[in-house]
Amino acid sequence: MLTCIVGLAIILLIPPERKDLIRWVSAVFSGLSLLLSIYLFVAYDRNSGGLQFVEKIPWLKALGISYFNGVDGFNLPLLLLTGIVHFTGVLSMWEMEERVKEFFALYFVLVTGVFGFFMSMDLFFLFVWYDVSLFPMYPLIVIWGSTRREYGAMKLFLYLLAGSALILPAIIYLVVHSGGGGFDLLKLMQPGTFTPFQQKFAFIFLYLGFGILAGVWPFHTWSPSGHVAAPTSVSMLHAGVLMKLGAFGVMRIAIFLCPAGWQYWAQTMAVLATIGIVYGVLVGLTQKDLKYVVAYSSVSHMGVVGLGLATVTAEGLSGSVFQMFAHGIMTALLFSSVGYFHDRTETKLIPELGGMSRTMPVASGFFIVGALAGMGVPGFANFWAELTVFLSSLQVYPVRGVVAISALVVSALFMLRVVQKTCYGGRNERFARLPDVSLGLGVPRIILVAVLLLFGFFPSLMLDMIQTSVFPFMEALAK
Amino acid sequence: MSWIVIAPELYFLGTAAVFFTLAMVPDTGPRRSYITALALAVGGVLVSLASLKFTGSFSHVYRVDLFSQVFKVLLAVGFFLILCICSELNGIRQKNHPEFYLLLSLCTLAMMMLVSSVELLTIYVALELTSYSLYILVALRKGEDTSLEAGIKYFLIGAASSAVMLFGMASLYGVTGETSLQELLKVLPSFAASAMVIIGLTLTLSGFFFKLALFPFHLWAPPVYEAAANQVTAYIATATKVAAIALLLRFATLGAGSRYLVHVLAALAIVSMTLGNLVALIQKDLKRLLAYSTVAHAGYIIIGILCMSQAGFAAVIFYAAAYLMMNFLCFLVVEKVAQDGRNVQVVELAGLHSRSPLLAMSMMVGVFSLGGIPPTIGFTGKFLIFTAAIEKGYFYLVLVGMINVVISLYYYALVVKAAYFLKPEKEGASIRLSLQLKAVIWAVLAVVIVGGIYPRFIYSLATAAAGLLR
Repeated sequence: MLTCIVGLAIILLIPPERKDLIRWVSAVFSGLSLLLSIYLFVAYDRNSGGLQFVEKIPWLKALGISYFNGVDGFNLPLLLLTGIVHFTGVLSMWEMEERVKEFFALYFVLVTGVFGFFMSMDLFFLFVWYDVSLFPMYPLIVIWGSTRREYGAMKLFLYLLAGSALILPAIIYLVVHSGGGGFDLLKLMQPGTFTPFQQKFAFIFLYLGFGILAGVWPFHTWSPSGHVAAPTSVSMLHAGVLMKLGAFGVMRIAIFLCPAGWQYWAQTMAVLATIGIVYGVLVGLTQKDLKYVVAYSSVSHMGVVGLGLATVTAEGLSGSVFQMFAHGIMTALLFSSVGYFHDRTETKLIPELGGMSRTMPVASGFFIVGALAGMGVPGFANFWAELTVFLSSLQVYPVRGVVAISALVVSALFMLRVVQKTCYGGRNERFARLPDVSLGLGVPRIILVAVLLLFGFFPSLMLDMIQTSVFPFMEALAK
Repeated sequence: MSWIVIAPELYFLGTAAVFFTLAMVPDTGPRRSYITALALAVGGVLVSLASLKFTGSFSHVYRVDLFSQVFKVLLAVGFFLILCICSELNGIRQKNHPEFYLLLSLCTLAMMMLVSSVELLTIYVALELTSYSLYILVALRKGEDTSLEAGIKYFLIGAASSAVMLFGMASLYGVTGETSLQELLKVLPSFAASAMVIIGLTLTLSGFFFKLALFPFHLWAPPVYEAAANQVTAYIATATKVAAIALLLRFATLGAGSRYLVHVLAALAIVSMTLGNLVALIQKDLKRLLAYSTVAHAGYIIIGILCMSQAGFAAVIFYAAAYLMMNFLCFLVVEKVAQDGRNVQVVELAGLHSRSPLLAMSMMVGVFSLGGIPPTIGFTGKFLIFTAAIEKGYFYLVLVGMINVVISLYYYALVVKAAYFLKPEKEGASIRLSLQLKAVIWAVLAVVIVGGIYPRFIYSLATAAAGLLR
């Protein structure tokens, strides 16, 4: 995270005319943050588990606020995800020409907020980072966006901040009723801090507030219009990482602090999640705009995350975290391929595309890989994540589980249809002269594919990591 | 008890005297009076800072303590900041410039007396001195009938609210036979159930609500903001609010025991926030928009006050400081964009980001801080107020407050959009800022951001000051 702040400072100092220099500096610093998150992932001691790499500085003692960061099995996958998407996002915006400096400055602010949110163990800072990562979305979409950008940006901005309007009172409510625990998440997590009623009450606000960002049906409507309007790397970061911020918030704050509320509301959460899965698939079926297709598939995949959280089992929880990671990488890949099509052909309507695999074989290759991963084909990380979630959800909620799985089967069909229409078919003469992905622009996509395959073949790398934290938490809960 | 403890007041009396003399001299150049004023304002800040730790009192009438001194520093800073944007005083006739400075310093003096007054009559006299300077300041704008109209409107509503306040004070005196706040604080609990006391308190508070532009006493704010010269509006929106907050805090302690009063305040806060924000949504004129946002902010402040706890009062003091800074940032832009002294529409901000990046940035930081987005001082202020309110169990008030914050973000975002993203119809000339002004803007920006990230210093000062209220 520190690299982001330093990178931001340096970007602000470079004059706006030196576009290349700005690009290189952003690439280097985002690369650094990727390396650091890989280092954390590798260096984390899986045998001892718990919270590691802790930094804690008292901040406002009168209110019990401290600057408290740490990593554990829950946030490590997401940190890695952020590092990857951040780096690849910078690379895929290499060709942008308009107001480069401001773009990367805002982009770094956003990523700083995301890193801070994932790592922070202090409620006050969690909230501050949350808002820091939200507000750059507005300028990012309004200036560099496309389809109906002003509408999309304002809708997204207001929806997400309405979410934070629900979160803040709930956080303060919990802190005030904790009996002097301050804002320290670990202290507040002690069992018996809150009465069941307080937990059930606060859980509603926390779940709804973060649920808006996680794209929980029926609060998802900002997501398609926002994603479609946003520029490529912002869509990548937003669908890939920011929506996870919401799901992670539900887990880290709502579920950790209010386990009784979690158990109480789990049924409702499962219903909403299942509706989200089915709804995302059905609406996605009818879309003509490629970005809308991807955006609605995000809604349904985030429903899978929600379903995993609603199972109240260790497997469901680990599956959710894994799904957040896998879906983040997969969506980033999809959005970056769609963005590439859009940059070159200046359309993203399915009927106008077609035959892309003849003119741009590599670009459509990436798109097909992303779509396959999204369908849950074995060999990709998504397969294991969805499998884990569905296995546990079938035990807890048989009916909803079956409905969700059948919806995903339908979604596989429709993704195949989309792939067929865009990539295959007759050679499209309109775009015949357009160049294919160059090596420089291919690198970020290759990284994303490689990550998907790596964790697809070795899911235990990730699942073991997550479970170092999930099992202690569930055991503590069972007592 | 020595005279030195009221050094800031004496200093501003001296300042007023200087301008009184300057106003007599027939041909003072505007440049000369401006430089004098600026130098004197810097001195004012230094003097009030130096007297921060003074304490003392004149019987039960006038008290100098950390509470009053903190507010005096804020007022002196507000005076200084307003003078920083007076370098081209195009909204006001040149020969009236010394009078403008005279009234401004008189008003500051009166407000300094106001924050130290602890007796009903002294409060009344100081408040009237403040108001009369403001009435004239509003009407001073060059060549505009509307400013005269607004001045009269302001005067009439102001006079009526003074009368109401006086009536309230009379009832308090009638029941208790006391005029000093300290004595009232002692005897009021025994009269807590008496309708006369509750009416008296409510009516007296109404007078201060008028200054704060709280619903239903907000009607003067939009026309006056719109019609007064930009600098005067900035002054009304920053410094006078600070004084009104100080006075409300002193007075609110009186009503601490009354549930009834708390309910009234809660209702006013809710209506004021909601109404202010909803009406602001449709405003085209930037100053009117800010006027309605003031109405909404009065609501947030009342939430802090009705907690009647030290945490709530400290949060309100913190918010007063924050409000001064962030509102200044917005009005600074208004003044600089309209250098000929006219009003500014929101759409006129288009292209500001290429005309002057620094101004565009202060606009963005200013409105985002008003909207309560971290890491700005406005967020921390709201956070402190809401924390205090939930500690007292007002969860519903905080929820309403947060929903209002979201509503307000819509129009704040429109302002930012205008400044950064709208294409202007014709390219405006770039706006030149003097070096000193740039330094001041950077300093205020730094306060807004650092105060948001690291509020410990201001917060501990505010807590200490709030501790003296009991």
